[in-house]
Amino acid sequence: MASVRLRAVAKNYGAVRAIHEVNLDVEHREFVVLVGPSGCGKSTLLRMIAGLETISGGEITLDDQVINDVPAGGRGVAMVFQNYALYPHMTAAQNMAFGLENIGMAREEINRRIAHAASTLKIEELLQRRPKAMSGGQRQRIAIGRAIVRDPKVFLFDEPLSNLDAALRVQMRIEIAKLHQRLDATMIYVTHDQVEAMTLADKIVVLSAGRIEQVGTPLELYHTPRNTFVAGFIGSPKMNIIDGKVAAITPEGVDVETPSGRLAIAAEPAGLAIGDSVRVGIRPEHMGVGKPGDGLAVVVEVVERLGDETMVYGTIGDGTSVVVKLDGTARVRTGETIPISVAATDGHLFTMDGEALRRTPAALEGLFDV
Amino acid sequence: MEKRAIRPFSGDTVTLVLMIALAAMWILPTIWVISLSLRPNMDLMRSTAGLLPIPFTLQNYIDIVSVSMTPRWLLNSAIVAIGTTVITLIVASLAGYAFARIAFPFKRTLFVFILCGLMIPEQTIIIPLHAMITDWGMHNTHAALIAPRVAMPVGVFLMTQFFRAIPLELEEAARLDNASRLTVFRRIMLPLSIPALTTLGIYTFLQAWNDFFWPLVSATNSNMYTVTVGLSSLQGNFAQTEGLGFIMASAVFASLPVVIVYVIFQKYIVRGIAMTTGK
Repeated sequence: MASVRLRAVAKNYGAVRAIHEVNLDVEHREFVVLVGPSGCGKSTLLRMIAGLETISGGEITLDDQVINDVPAGGRGVAMVFQNYALYPHMTAAQNMAFGLENIGMAREEINRRIAHAASTLKIEELLQRRPKAMSGGQRQRIAIGRAIVRDPKVFLFDEPLSNLDAALRVQMRIEIAKLHQRLDATMIYVTHDQVEAMTLADKIVVLSAGRIEQVGTPLELYHTPRNTFVAGFIGSPKMNIIDGKVAAITPEGVDVETPSGRLAIAAEPAGLAIGDSVRVGIRPEHMGVGKPGDGLAVVVEVVERLGDETMVYGTIGDGTSVVVKLDGTARVRTGETIPISVAATDGHLFTMDGEALRRTPAALEGLFDV
Repeated sequence: MEKRAIRPFSGDTVTLVLMIALAAMWILPTIWVISLSLRPNMDLMRSTAGLLPIPFTLQNYIDIVSVSMTPRWLLNSAIVAIGTTVITLIVASLAGYAFARIAFPFKRTLFVFILCGLMIPEQTIIIPLHAMITDWGMHNTHAALIAPRVAMPVGVFLMTQFFRAIPLELEEAARLDNASRLTVFRRIMLPLSIPALTTLGIYTFLQAWNDFFWPLVSATNSNMYTVTVGLSSLQGNFAQTEGLGFIMASAVFASLPVVIVYVIFQKYIVRGIAMTTGK
């Protein structure tokens, strides 16, 4: 069992509060991804769990033991760094052995563990090489191997793929997912890449400015973002946010008058009155070309044809930029105005403060069955 | 087109001629010194002209070695130079690591204080240093020749800069790998700083070997002379005319270890110069 609990954990740098009383539960064998823009505190939080940063307030427990004052080496956690942090003067095998030698483990056991990790990661032929003689992907494998041999309670990953090229990143992502299944280990993973977060996580923690914005499964965050920040951060390309006014409240939801047409959104109108300002959120992939006069009138500015899909970048009446994702055969030209339709059940509604209004049961039907 | 093709060639030739001229300016005096050292003193009293050692003799070198004290002076120089180098490396690497990686009160002030040591010329401290070593009764010991040379601001500065440039993540990874501060220093930082240590070691060795002023002041007993002081003590009043070959042979002899160190480690010396200029 290896569960991690954060209770009101805070971090101050002088007068600046970098982490605001964060509460988080990471269960045994769970793969938790901390995601957020640069400077949101996700790496700081991970480093606090690792013991590389002091904790200014609150409590971190690992398996019900408070580890606030336990030194990094004594916590039973292993970390994979963004730039690998392999010891350049040691071979891969020596890199992996270093931590085990420091706890006085017998040589035979060290060799056995290295051999086992090497076969798991398919790095046998790299063991006698130094980091200098390896590619980025190979170095990352050795860094993961160094974590595996220690048989840690919790694996911590600090943006481990961000130094790799796009193709290798996809490959390593899949390997990390497989590794998680094989090792049955608790993993906490930091990234700014929402695709990595969506694909790897059992649970995603979205952070902004040192605060947790929302915690949930990837689909929960995608389908029911708590606010415009999460809505914009999860999903690619990001959700379109369009300002409008409540035009009608219907049994199915709320009708919103936007600068380019009226949209029906299947959201609960809690506290809303006709004429109130609201924000409509629509994901690019939920937009389609409708009949003339339908939905939103979008002036097309740029069309990107990617083969299987067409990305349309345009604006609506008040100048708000919108992105529309259409299929590869969509007939759209730059300069024309196209009617964009959106199913009421695909829309999201937010207050002007950015808080989401609950989506109606009809909108959520079947979304979490997968 | 033709002009274009010729230009780089003529430019190269000019550079080459200039380089040869400059190299000759540097090497000719050296060759002359070596040549003079291989000619009889009597012959040199008539003329010092000519770069070839004719007539040829090894008598000047035989005279140096046969002076009974020379091996002793060489040994003293070796003890002082090696001792200074080893202790400097230990002090500078430990201090450099502390300045680069450990937080402690007044760190910046102390670092600036150490750097101020760079601005103090040797001549200004030689009298107080002499008085201090006299008070302690330490003159004419190896310790007296080594100790004042060990606190080398350049060394501390070089090692601090070098350790600062080593990624912090390596140390953090080592901390997660259960390494103590000392293990981190010994097994991660020191092996990674071998280029800097080599540079500093060579620099310190050469300085200590060539040192003349302080050994001249401190070592008054001829048993404790270093080779630089010892050889200079052999010069009589009329050495420039009567024993020129012997003086030249002394110079060649005393600089041999330095030359050997340069030849073996020149790669590191160049790298070290690049390092201290912030490259």
